[in-house]
Amino acid sequence: MPEHLPADVAQQLDDLLLGPPFAREPGERHAKLLAVLQAELSYAIERHAPLRRYVEAWPVDYRAAQRITDLPYLPVGVFKADPPLALVSPEAIVRTLASSATTGQTPSRVVLDTETSRRMVKGVTSIIRDFIGPMRRPYLVIDTPESLVGGAQLGARSAAIQGLRSFATDITCCLKSDADGQLRLDERALLAFAEQVGNADALVYGFTYVIWQYFVLPLRARGITLRMPNVRLLHSGGWKRLQDQAVPRETYAGGVASVFGCTAERIVDFYGMVENVGIIYPDCEHGNKHVPAFAEVIVRDPLTLEPVQIGAQGLVQVCSALATSFPGFTVLTDDIAEIVRYDGCPCGRRGTCFRFVKRVPKAEVRGCGNIDTLRQRATAL
Amino acid sequence: MSELIRIVDSPSEIAAAAQRLRERVGLRELTARRVIEVLERWGTALQGPALDTIPGVPFLRLWLRRGTLEPIVARELGSSALDGNWWSERGGHLRTFPLGVVGHWPAGNIEIQPVLSLSCGLLGGNAGLVRVPSGLLAQTKALLDKLQEIDVEGVLTERVFMAAFDHERLDLQRAMAASVDGAMIWGGEEAVTQIRALPFPHWARLAVFGPRLSAAAMDGECWGDEDERQAWCRRIARDVWQFDQQACSSPQTLFLERRDGCDPGAFVAALAAALEAENRAHPRRDIHPALTSAICLARASWLLDAAAHRALFPLTPDWTLLIGAGADIPQPTQGRTLSVLLVEDLSEPIARFGGAVQTLGLGVKNAAREAALARAAGHNGVDRIVKLGGMHVFGSPWDGSDMIRPMVRLVRHMPSNSG
Repeated sequence: MPEHLPADVAQQLDDLLLGPPFAREPGERHAKLLAVLQAELSYAIERHAPLRRYVEAWPVDYRAAQRITDLPYLPVGVFKADPPLALVSPEAIVRTLASSATTGQTPSRVVLDTETSRRMVKGVTSIIRDFIGPMRRPYLVIDTPESLVGGAQLGARSAAIQGLRSFATDITCCLKSDADGQLRLDERALLAFAEQVGNADALVYGFTYVIWQYFVLPLRARGITLRMPNVRLLHSGGWKRLQDQAVPRETYAGGVASVFGCTAERIVDFYGMVENVGIIYPDCEHGNKHVPAFAEVIVRDPLTLEPVQIGAQGLVQVCSALATSFPGFTVLTDDIAEIVRYDGCPCGRRGTCFRFVKRVPKAEVRGCGNIDTLRQRATAL
Repeated sequence: MSELIRIVDSPSEIAAAAQRLRERVGLRELTARRVIEVLERWGTALQGPALDTIPGVPFLRLWLRRGTLEPIVARELGSSALDGNWWSERGGHLRTFPLGVVGHWPAGNIEIQPVLSLSCGLLGGNAGLVRVPSGLLAQTKALLDKLQEIDVEGVLTERVFMAAFDHERLDLQRAMAASVDGAMIWGGEEAVTQIRALPFPHWARLAVFGPRLSAAAMDGECWGDEDERQAWCRRIARDVWQFDQQACSSPQTLFLERRDGCDPGAFVAALAAALEAENRAHPRRDIHPALTSAICLARASWLLDAAAHRALFPLTPDWTLLIGAGADIPQPTQGRTLSVLLVEDLSEPIARFGGAVQTLGLGVKNAAREAALARAAGHNGVDRIVKLGGMHVFGSPWDGSDMIRPMVRLVRHMPSNSG
C-alpha cells in the first residue's frame, strides 16, 4: 500500500496548487484536475476497503471517466462518522477539524496529515492573496483569544481564523468570554486597534453571526463608528442564525460597513466547509464565488443528479485535489447554489462561478410511512 | 380554487362551516347506498390528463366503485345498513347512525388520501371537514372539481368542507378539532401526536392510522424460480414505486430466504431491471432536495458500513437497492430505496417486527408455510398480509381497524311493547 501519492501525481497537484488560482483556461485545467482526482481515487481505494466498495458500486468506472462530473462522490453526511473517515494511519494524523454543527447536531470531522495541512494552508493563502493581495497587515479577529489556540482538535471557526494568519503583521482579538461563557465585546482592545490602524489597510475576520450579534449590534447600541475606511472584512459560517433574526445580506453588509466606516464592497462573504479544506469561495466584486485551479464545483439537479445549466439551481458538489488524508475529493453537500457561468466572469477570474442560495431545507416530516425503526426494535425487546 | 376547498384564515370560519355541516346531517338522512351511488359516478368521472398524473388515481377509481364499497359497508355495518334499516338482534333492533361531523387529517404524502378518508366518513352518513395538506392542494382540487361536476344535486358536496391552511396554524387546528364529532387522523409520528393532542370534544371518537412501515418477504422457492422471477420483480417494483415509497404500506425492506443452489445476485439483478423498467414507465416529475441527499447518503453509508454490503443504483436518484444480510429492518430512507436482506428463515425477521410493521407483502410457494408465516406476522403486530404487488391496495380493514364503523354509532332499540 503506498504511503504517499505517486510522485508524478504529487507533481501535477503541486502544479495546480502553486500556479495562479483563477487564471487557467478551463479546458486545460479540467483535464489536469480530472487526472489528479482519478489518481487520488486510486490511491484512496487502495487504503480504504469500504471506500473501494462504494467506488466499485458506482455506475461509471472512475478510471474511464471523461468528466469530473462522472467521478463518484461522497455525500457530506458520511463525514459525521465516528471515527472519522481516514486514509492515513492514526499516527500520521496531526489535526482533526470539526464543523460548526448547531446544537444537537453531529459535527463533520476530517483528519489532516502533514501533507494535507501544508496544502490546506497553501490553498487558502493562494485564494485570499488573489482577493486582497499578498501584503501582511494588522489582523482583527472578531472572536476570543482562545480561538487562536491551535491543537489536535480544531473547530471551523478557529481553523478559518488561523488560515488567515499568514496575512497578519499582528493579531488582535476583540471579543472575550464572560463568567457565564457569553461572548462580550472587548471595547478597549477594539478601540486601541482602530486607533492604531486608522486609514491604513487592515484585515478583519469573524463568523457571520458572531460579527452581527457580538460586534455590530453592541457598537451600534453605543453609537460607535470605528473610522477604518480601508479595512477588508471577511466573514463565513452561514446565514441560518441571521435568517432566523430576519437579517438580509444587504442589511448585513451595510450594517457592518457602517460600523467600520467603510464601503459595503469591503465586506466579503465567503463560503467553505471543513470537508473541503484549503478551499474557500469569497464573493468577487460581481457577487460571484469562484473556483480555484485545484478544485471544481458542480451544481447538480436534485431530480437527475446531472449538472445543471447556467442559471439553474441545485445541490452543490465540491471537488478538491488538496486532501489526501481523508476522502474529500468529491463531496455532495447539503447546500443549494446557482451556476452563474462556467467561464468569463467580468471580474476576470476564469472557470466556474456560482452563488450560494441556501441550505437544503429539511423535508417536512409528513408521511404515514415516517417511522423510526428504533422504536420497533425497542418494542421487540 | 374549487368551491369546496377554502383557504381558511380564522377559527370562526371553521366553526361556522362545521355548524352548517352538522345542520345538513341533521336535516337529511343519507343512506350508504345513496352515498355509494354518487361516489361511483365520481370515480367514473376521474379521467383526463389533469387527473391521470396524480399518483393513485387509478386505484381511487377502483375504490369508489359500488363493487368495492358495498361489500365493505356490508361487512363493517351489516347489509341492512346499506339502506339505513334496522336489523333484529336478541329481541331488539340495531341500526347505525352517523357521528355527525367527521374531521379528516390526511397525511401530506398520499395524493388521494384526502378523498379516501373523506369517503369513509361519508359512507357512515357523516359530513366531512377535511384539512387539505398544503402540498396536495392542486391535486385535491382536481379531484374535487369532478365531484362538483357530477353531484349537481349536492348530495355529497353539501356535506363537505375542505379547509386549506398551514399545518403550523395551531389556532385553526384547534378550532377544527373542537368542531368535530369524530376524526380520522393519518400521518407520521410527529403529526399524529400533535393532532391527537388537540382539544377534541370529550365525545369525539378518534381513529388513528399510522405511522407504520411495511416489509416484503419471499421464500427461496419463489425468488429462486427463474420462470417466475420477472413477474415477482415487477410486482415488487410496483409496490416500491407507488407514492414514492413514502406510504405506510410501502415496502422498505425485502427479506429473501436463503436456498441452496439459488443465486441471490441473479434475483437482485432482475429486480434492478424491473425497477429500471418501472422508472421508464413512471419517471419522477419532482423531488425534494432533502430526499435526494438522503438517498445519496443511504447509498454511501450502506457501502461504507460493512464489508458484506453491496448496492445497485443508477447515477440518478431514481432507485436504489441496498443488499446485505440480517433480520432487522434498517432505518427507511424512502424515495425508492429498498433494502434486500438475506435471512436463513423468514420467521426470523417476522419475529422481530414488534408492532411497527403494517403490511407484509409475501411471495411464498407453499400455502401451509404461508399460513404459518401469516399467523406469526399477525402475532407480531402486522395488520395486513398480502401477495407482493398488492401492498398498496387500500381496503378495509386498514391498520387493523375498520374504516367506516369507527365513525358511526351503533344504536340499539329495545321496543317498549315487547314481552
